Amino acid sequence: MSLDNILNHWSDYRKGAEEGGHHDYEHRWAMAINLDLCIGCNACSTACYAENNLPVVGKEKFEKGQAMHWMRIERYWDQQELEHPEQGASFLPMMCQQCGAATCEPVCPVAATYHTPDGLNAQVYNRCIGSRYCSNNCPFRVRYFNFYSYYESSWPEPMEQQLNPDISVRDKGVMEKCTFCVQRIRTVKDKAFMEDRPVQDGEVITACAQACPTSAIVFGDTMDEGSMVNKLWKKHQVERGIYQKTQHAKKNADLRGYRIFEELNVDPSVMYLERVREDV
Amino acid sequence: MSKKRMMGLFGDFEEAHDAIADIRRNEVPGLTVDDVTMTSPIEHPEVEEVLGDRPVHLQKFTLFGAVFGVVFGFIFLAAAQASFLVQPQGGKPVIALPSNIVLIYEMLIFFAVWLTFFAFIFLSGLLKKRSTLYSEKVSLDQVAIIVEVDENVGESVKGLFQKHKVLEIREEAIR
Amino acid sequence: MTMVTEKDINEQIAWAKINTDVLKSMENPRPAYWVTLAVCIAMVACAALAEYIQYTVGMGPSNLNNPHMWDMYIAAFVFWIGMSHSGTLLSAILHLIHADWRKPIYRFAEAMTTFSLMTAGLFPIIHLGRVWNMYWVLPYVSDRGIWPNFRSPLVWDAFAISTYLSASMLFLFVGMIPDLAICRDNTTGWRKKLYTILSLGWIGSDQQWRNFRKIYLLMACFLIPLAVSVHSIVSADFAMSIMPGWHITTFPPYFVAGALYSGCAAIITLFVLLRYFFRFEEYMTLPLMEKTAKLTFAIAMVWTYLNLIEFASVWYGHDIYNKELLIAKATGPYAWIFWTMLFCGSVLPFALAFRKLRRHMPTMFVVSLFLNLGMFFERWMIVAPTLSMSHEPHQWDIMYGSIVEWAIVFGSFGWFGMLFLIFVKVFPSVSMYEVKEMVFHRKQSLGEEDLARMTDHAKPVTQTTGREGT
Repeated sequence: MSLDNILNHWSDYRKGAEEGGHHDYEHRWAMAINLDLCIGCNACSTACYAENNLPVVGKEKFEKGQAMHWMRIERYWDQQELEHPEQGASFLPMMCQQCGAATCEPVCPVAATYHTPDGLNAQVYNRCIGSRYCSNNCPFRVRYFNFYSYYESSWPEPMEQQLNPDISVRDKGVMEKCTFCVQRIRTVKDKAFMEDRPVQDGEVITACAQACPTSAIVFGDTMDEGSMVNKLWKKHQVERGIYQKTQHAKKNADLRGYRIFEELNVDPSVMYLERVREDV
Repeated sequence: MSKKRMMGLFGDFEEAHDAIADIRRNEVPGLTVDDVTMTSPIEHPEVEEVLGDRPVHLQKFTLFGAVFGVVFGFIFLAAAQASFLVQPQGGKPVIALPSNIVLIYEMLIFFAVWLTFFAFIFLSGLLKKRSTLYSEKVSLDQVAIIVEVDENVGESVKGLFQKHKVLEIREEAIR
Repeated sequence: MTMVTEKDINEQIAWAKINTDVLKSMENPRPAYWVTLAVCIAMVACAALAEYIQYTVGMGPSNLNNPHMWDMYIAAFVFWIGMSHSGTLLSAILHLIHADWRKPIYRFAEAMTTFSLMTAGLFPIIHLGRVWNMYWVLPYVSDRGIWPNFRSPLVWDAFAISTYLSASMLFLFVGMIPDLAICRDNTTGWRKKLYTILSLGWIGSDQQWRNFRKIYLLMACFLIPLAVSVHSIVSADFAMSIMPGWHITTFPPYFVAGALYSGCAAIITLFVLLRYFFRFEEYMTLPLMEKTAKLTFAIAMVWTYLNLIEFASVWYGHDIYNKELLIAKATGPYAWIFWTMLFCGSVLPFALAFRKLRRHMPTMFVVSLFLNLGMFFERWMIVAPTLSMSHEPHQWDIMYGSIVEWAIVFGSFGWFGMLFLIFVKVFPSVSMYEVKEMVFHRKQSLGEEDLARMTDHAKPVTQTTGREGT
């Protein structure tokens, strides 16, 4: 809160949208999900449950829509022209897109969600008072609210032994969402810092990417030139700050990369590679 | 010379207005309109013609409150936003003028209204000790004229009141 | 031949009668009053129980889910804030345009404003997941150096509503000071003590009246832009998001128009009730009801126009999400609410266009209740369908509130009723001094008219009837 702080760092913070509001990004975590490889097995979702202490809410609450799955597999039946339309299911793994110009951030009344220098959208559980405006403003609807104190019933003895000690268990009234396994990122970054070396590609892997049997999910740092995720983004010509969809459709069927709801200009960090369809 | 306060209760505003007009024309020696107060059940802005121009200073406080609201509002908000630097989110400015304008507008009105209220209580002499010269008839439908005079002028004041059909006269000595 | 116009108020009414009539309304209440008060308190108790459940168990019992993170609480919040615009309209706006017909009815309207705000202010607190931390929304110097997010419309809400509530309370109080002096002079016991303190030593001196006139005018001038800004800020809760159906530029004027509308409808409801229960027929006359009804009708047409504008701009626009949402509102699962809203809000006000219906108190009572029902549905139609059908199709959902939500929303009506009932028995619900002013000025202008007519025409006044002695 000192004047020094303000004067020294003012220019660091006063940045435009293209630079995402920070002067020097150390990393820019991103994902590339190949929808052609996704088989909808839900292993990623289950791994996320295990890694992030997500409570299993039970059938009744799930049906009411009060589930807590940070990573969810969405199923769309969009090929009605097939002989057996039910076979035309598309699977879309949907989690927090860690938007560069996130719509959830400006509307939180207590500033419980903000943008980290890593390019992640962070949720501060302790600060959240549960007004739920952020969830209403998320076009992807990937923010989940603790409607009950799930810790009271979700992990009966001795199941609480499975909880991940690196991450908290949230109480009722608090909003939560996918963090790109920030606890794993933190651990790796700390290790790299102590060993005085940069973070290597493949060192940080999110729970969902780790569990995926078909390696559909690729996670990494787009600021690392040699990383897999950066190569994929470049190959499919998806760039932050530029709306790709219409360009792709005109140019080249091999360019399958797109980001969801790009016209909303929220700058998501997750690129999806479109499913190769039989009629294309 | 000891002073006393006299109150005359009149049935309606016209008579009280004429009585004050007489006082203004100095029909009672030693008594000027400056010593006259009129109490009434409703407001009578037309009494200013005879009572003289007594300015109201309330709006100056309002202006001060409004300006204070704007200045304090901006400084407070800018200081808070500038110190809470962990907060800036993707592409948004640190001191967001559109949001600040909304908040400063509210603070302008807030301070203007409260300052006006306190100034009103002070300027209208509301919380002062009430003299015993008060008739409940004033809150009903009668108009009272209260004059502060020297003892010896009392009789001529009474005469003036009676000329204008006064209903009741009360006196109290000022110590 | 001039038309005989019915008078807004009888100019020959004795001022003593005004005092007596209004003071009589504050006397010891009949059993019906106590029963009504007990019902209101029971409703509040239900709401308190429901809130206790929510406080201890979590927000789950209210049936909220992903995507429906807001529902009845926010709809009720907007509804109550909207209703609070009635007093501002009547007290402040009509005061500035010198419409003195507002004088007998603005006091209870202004009280309604204050109590609506006190009710509305509860909802942003109740709907929070962690209610006990709600003070974090306020900007205070904390040792951690963190502040609320001033960019968020919810923080603007906090500023705006606290400003509006305090300004409204001050306006109500200041406007009541001369009346409290009247009460002080005519009561005994605990009431006399209360009024003596509250009237702040008012004696009606010219100095006090001079300053009073000034402060009343100044506060009226401030209250109007404040009321407009408050409801615009509340609309910004929706308009500042990117959700289809919410991200609409006309929301601020739409909300303000809707607020004035529901406020006017509520004035009609309370007008009928107070006139009947307190025998205020001399003051809350039929011409006054007609004027209020005409005002409501005009605002209803403005609201209808803004609705049509919104539909038209969505229909002819290119925002697919918005257009699909509008079609779903009209034909989907919530269609019955949509069409009830349009009927109650746009078709029913035409009852106010008929003179015979306007003068029939029971009809006005029922019509005003339905108008407000339409407005409540409108608030809900703003909040819920957008959440039901926003961008991400996987999260489309249909949701209705649970009993916990309904209990709290009904309880808010009970809370409002309780506050209002206490108000009408402790404070004068008709502004005595303003009615006297109205009578005085009308008598004066009548005298001037007669004088003018007598100097203009040689003949004595016999053509026009109904002037002397009604």
